[in-house]
Amino acid sequence: MKNIPENKVSNVLIILLLLIHTQLAYGESESELINQVYQSTYKPDTSPRILIKNATILTGTGELLENSSILIDSNRIVSIGNDDTNNAEIIDAKGKWITPGIIDIHSHMGVYPAPSLRGNSDGNEATNPVTPHVWAEHSVWTQDPQFTLALKGGITTFHVLPGSANLFGGRGVTLKNTRSVTVQGMKFPNAPYTLKMACGENPKRVYGNRDSEPSTRMGNVAGYREAWIDAQSYMQAKALSEKLSDEEESDQEQELFKRDLKMETLSGVLKGEILIQNHCYRGEEMAVMIDIAKEFNYRVTTFHHAIEAYKVADLLADNGVCAAMWADWWGFKNEAYDMVWENVAMVDQAVNGTGCAIVHSDSAVGIQHLNQEASKALSAGLRAGLEISKARAIQWITLNPAKALGISDQVGSLEVGKMADLVIWDGDPFSTFSKAEKVFIDGHLSFDATKKNGFIRTDFDLGIINPEGDRL
Amino acid sequence: MKIIKYSLVFLFLSPLHAEINETILIKNATAMTAMKSGTLQNTDILIVDGLIAKIGQNLDFENAIVFDATNHFVTPGLIAPHSMIGLQEIELEAETRDDSTDYFSSGFSIVDAYNPSSALIPHNRTGGITTAIVTPSSGHHVFSGMASVFKLDGKLTEESIGQDIAMVMSFGGSEDSRASQMLLIKDGFIKAKNYHKSRSQIMRGGYFDFGYYTPRDLEAILRVVNKEIPLIVRTDRARDILRMIAFSNSHEIDIILAGAKEAWRIADKIALESIPVILDPMDNIPSSFDSIAARMDNASILNNAGVKILITSQSTHNSYLSRQGAGNAVAYGLSEEDALKALTINVASVFGLDERIGTLEVGKDADLLIWDGHPLEVSSFTKKIYIDGKEISTVTRSQRLRDRYLKKLGLD
Repeated sequence: MKNIPENKVSNVLIILLLLIHTQLAYGESESELINQVYQSTYKPDTSPRILIKNATILTGTGELLENSSILIDSNRIVSIGNDDTNNAEIIDAKGKWITPGIIDIHSHMGVYPAPSLRGNSDGNEATNPVTPHVWAEHSVWTQDPQFTLALKGGITTFHVLPGSANLFGGRGVTLKNTRSVTVQGMKFPNAPYTLKMACGENPKRVYGNRDSEPSTRMGNVAGYREAWIDAQSYMQAKALSEKLSDEEESDQEQELFKRDLKMETLSGVLKGEILIQNHCYRGEEMAVMIDIAKEFNYRVTTFHHAIEAYKVADLLADNGVCAAMWADWWGFKNEAYDMVWENVAMVDQAVNGTGCAIVHSDSAVGIQHLNQEASKALSAGLRAGLEISKARAIQWITLNPAKALGISDQVGSLEVGKMADLVIWDGDPFSTFSKAEKVFIDGHLSFDATKKNGFIRTDFDLGIINPEGDRL
Repeated sequence: MKIIKYSLVFLFLSPLHAEINETILIKNATAMTAMKSGTLQNTDILIVDGLIAKIGQNLDFENAIVFDATNHFVTPGLIAPHSMIGLQEIELEAETRDDSTDYFSSGFSIVDAYNPSSALIPHNRTGGITTAIVTPSSGHHVFSGMASVFKLDGKLTEESIGQDIAMVMSFGGSEDSRASQMLLIKDGFIKAKNYHKSRSQIMRGGYFDFGYYTPRDLEAILRVVNKEIPLIVRTDRARDILRMIAFSNSHEIDIILAGAKEAWRIADKIALESIPVILDPMDNIPSSFDSIAARMDNASILNNAGVKILITSQSTHNSYLSRQGAGNAVAYGLSEEDALKALTINVASVFGLDERIGTLEVGKDADLLIWDGHPLEVSSFTKKIYIDGKEISTVTRSQRLRDRYLKKLGLD
């Protein structure tokens, strides 16, 4: 897998100048300008035509196809269930399973990389409870060896969030699990930005311990609301300033409107451009956060670490909010005490199966085995008498996180026209004993377990144990 | 008054906890013995007076409670080799934790802190853990204290079945140089030996420089010196493991490695020295410069080199996930039989409990589990749990919450 060469500073500068010129000339919005300047530079080479046949396919659309095939070409899925071998390289996947590439909606890889050192611990701007102006992508270390470990577990896309010390932790970024020196070279093309918010214990502990606001849950809520009120005022002031500059001649003196990075992110949410990813454990807090969203007319896309989602599963389904959950983590803090093994399954089945359940990792170990986490959540649901198929459960780690990240038109299921991100498993992915054997990203074989050098190592992995060898 | 209290407790705990030893016959099971006999098909297990009385085919026993285990697996109860079950309820809430001390080091015993009513006990028991080696956490000192063994039947009156059976210490990267840590360890051993020699003088008021240790701590170290108990060394870096092996040889003590993320690099040496290793096979993150060489096949490389491995979970709350670790070790080259041993008999034998637990074997405590699927699959779960021949409820607080909200959501 090769990327288009990047890092050509002169090119970037030219583009930047052109964009500024364009903006001045055509009056494009600042947010469009920002999206263009910081946009993904990830462009995969054209991938070969490959037919994978005789496989058991979990499509991610809710179907299980037995003894079926999938044809990929030029980075996209071309057909499913059609054995068109014409000019295609053929992979016989008899006895093997295919799923869409696995997507983890909650990761801190890159911002809390391995090894864990002060010098690369960049996930929490824990200096102020309201930091929507920071962007996780500006902390990502692209040589984090955890990326390749996740790739071996079938992860093709992951969402990197700032930590949860703050009420507003900053913007998250969706990355493709591809190796690149620059974070721009990993960014999922055109994925919307997200904003990390955090309920509960973490903000109140971090700031309460410093005798500053917030030190209680009610302090948290006041903090969110004050920030949204600020954002509303900012949007009004900005609109007024734009109106004035339209009316007045450009050569006339006018008061310059100063951009505020915090308010730009918050107003992006209020305009529906930025998706809220909300760390929130408790049922009652999720209900309050939904109220706040109604007060300020925005949507919560997903509650993360939603240990008590099962207590408000109907409320979540009715409001179209996803819950991203662990299969079994609990007890590390008070708000994580009321775990149930069936949490994911109950959210999934709520209100006639209209719930949106996601299994996430928040862990560099868990992300390598997200299929097993889904399996634990599925089997718990089955034991509780809920009727859920594997074909549906696979969506917890594919299509549902894709929807919650605003990228389901591109990935998350095996459908014609989507990016050719898929995993060939050496057995049923719901078995502990199965492993990802081949991982394709945009049609390129990015990991091949059958070959010693079947993946690209990070810089970190080279010569770190002994100078002549690789770490893995 | 006390008598009334206890009898109320027994009433509350349902007839399953009655003090009558029932005779139980498990029929037609797939029995994974954790012994050389491996997996026995279509096998019956008879439990009499809390012990495994017979294992064979077509067993019969008058008045026995029969469970037909057709299509079910039976294993010995799993033993958590390294957890803090009973010592902590909520990790971040200090007052719910009793796993470390500011006052003692090597002599710290956790026995008096163990809480048999902890929600972690039914949770992990339902996950398959019937016995736990309960260890102190790493505290302010290289020595953390001593581990004790508890069966997880949750009785308020539960006593340790092995009190202070191993000492725990940590060695590796921290604020203080590891060379300084080694000096502290060496000092402890030298002081313990000197203390032993001059104990009678000290009792009479003679001067003794205790340094960083209390008399209690040195008494405990003497038990390691005398090979009464082994020393569990939490360490990851291959070089640190070698230094600790050299130290153990110089003092002729028994050590057990825990963590040991780089142990695979010196698997043959560890095997040669017959040092057991407690590890989490899924912990392959190079999370510090002590564990740069961490990898998924640590467990199988060590086992296949002849090292006795004991599989643990890093989470005390989910100690039972050692089973997932064992399954993953199988995916990376360990045999199923050896993976089960790493969850059962290897733990029992390393801690001197193998006379009583660890295998499906006639004469042993009837601590066993009936599974609804292959015990190393994450999708499987316990269906029945027996400790000392008594069936223990599989209900957990989690299931009570589940049932309340299944009903509320109309999903029951």
